[in-house]
Amino acid sequence: MTDNLLMEDVRDGKVEKLAILFERHHVVLFNYFLRLTGNRPVSEDLVQEVFTRILKYRTTYRGEARYSVWMYKIARNAHIDFLRRQKETVPLEDQFEEAQSVDLVPEERVERQQEAALISRALKKLSPKKQEIILLSRFQNLKYREIAELMECPVGTVKGMVHRAVRELGDIYKQLSREACRHEM
Amino acid sequence: MKCENIKERMPDFLTGDLDKKAKSEFDAHVASCAACGEELRQLSEIWTKLGVLPMEQPSPALRNRFYTMLEAYKEGFGAEKAAAESKKKFSFSFGRIWPRQPAFQFAAALVFVVLGVTTGYLLRNPQARLSQLHQEVDSMRQIMAVSLMQQPSPSDRIQGASFSSQVKAPTQKTLDTLLQTLNNDPNVNVRLAAVDALYLFSSYPEVKDRVVQSLGKQESPLIQVALIDLLVGIREKRAVDAFKALIQNEKLNPDVKRKAELGIQQLSF
Repeated sequence: MTDNLLMEDVRDGKVEKLAILFERHHVVLFNYFLRLTGNRPVSEDLVQEVFTRILKYRTTYRGEARYSVWMYKIARNAHIDFLRRQKETVPLEDQFEEAQSVDLVPEERVERQQEAALISRALKKLSPKKQEIILLSRFQNLKYREIAELMECPVGTVKGMVHRAVRELGDIYKQLSREACRHEM
Repeated sequence: MKCENIKERMPDFLTGDLDKKAKSEFDAHVASCAACGEELRQLSEIWTKLGVLPMEQPSPALRNRFYTMLEAYKEGFGAEKAAAESKKKFSFSFGRIWPRQPAFQFAAALVFVVLGVTTGYLLRNPQARLSQLHQEVDSMRQIMAVSLMQQPSPSDRIQGASFSSQVKAPTQKTLDTLLQTLNNDPNVNVRLAAVDALYLFSSYPEVKDRVVQSLGKQESPLIQVALIDLLVGIREKRAVDAFKALIQNEKLNPDVKRKAELGIQQLSF
């Protein structure tokens, strides 16, 4: 059953179907918030907030766009409200100290963790808008036209933003890598 | 194609959204233009590097909070909906059906009093309400269990199987999903969790039949032993033939063979 049909059922009163949508989306949503906030408890709160708002506003769902687009609209608003309430966050690299990949030997794992920490530091140095556009296009399985709908801007603007954001991320990453190398020497 | 057009299409290249014709034009340009080629290489490199960011798992508390919230909402919503519907129906139809003659009005009032008392009795019957609530929770648990058993993460699938074991009256879909998990899941721990859940539903004839059939399909000694234990535990005599067939397999693990031989003895009494 598609997400859109499930959400239409939720809208029409079969609210228990939200459990399926939760199971399908809560992990990616959690990672979206974690990469934006760098804070696990806050990210869990935000996921919970998204599903609470979905129930609250379920009757406004029209099913014209993909369910994910509608859900990320709610997610973005929840995040904006959070930023208004709280400005300080825990650095994202702290989160990756716990990250483990079972298929890797210890040396490879350490190297991968260091790279993840570096890339997340680079990501955090981008403006919130650029961070968001990279996360939405790279990890959330949304098409550019869907992101354009989400952000209420033309699709060309979204593509331009992605291009600039990725280029800037690359520059920051290179700079941080050089600094890290100097530090090791 | 100009460099400017190529740059506009680089984001599409990154997400793999260029169609065949556009892709070949794009490739031809970047192969011949050093500046565009270098820019694309840099963008692709960082785009690929983003893949090292790990997919983190939220704590189990998140799932618990969500289901608590959903149950609370459902209870509140159910009560609200019933109240709204009864109010709507009453206000809509009352004026139409109310008789104009006083004698008929008296009779109608009497009917409403009797109806009211009966409805009140039914609504106040806590046993009926409790039973309905149990059914709803059971149904929700099954939706969640089936959904979890279809997730890519083995730990989610294990959790799905253990959730299904808390179900009181499994639907056909829940049973089918458990049996499919037993036969097809690539992870042995998930299949073991499915065996545990199926043990609780072994009173269903279909489950007995399909568990017996499944024994011949399993290759993991752990699962073979778990299924033998299950079939002996429920005294399923038809399993004897399946055990005998299993023993014929020359590659069978010696421990499993001993277990199957013991099972034949136990079921023969």
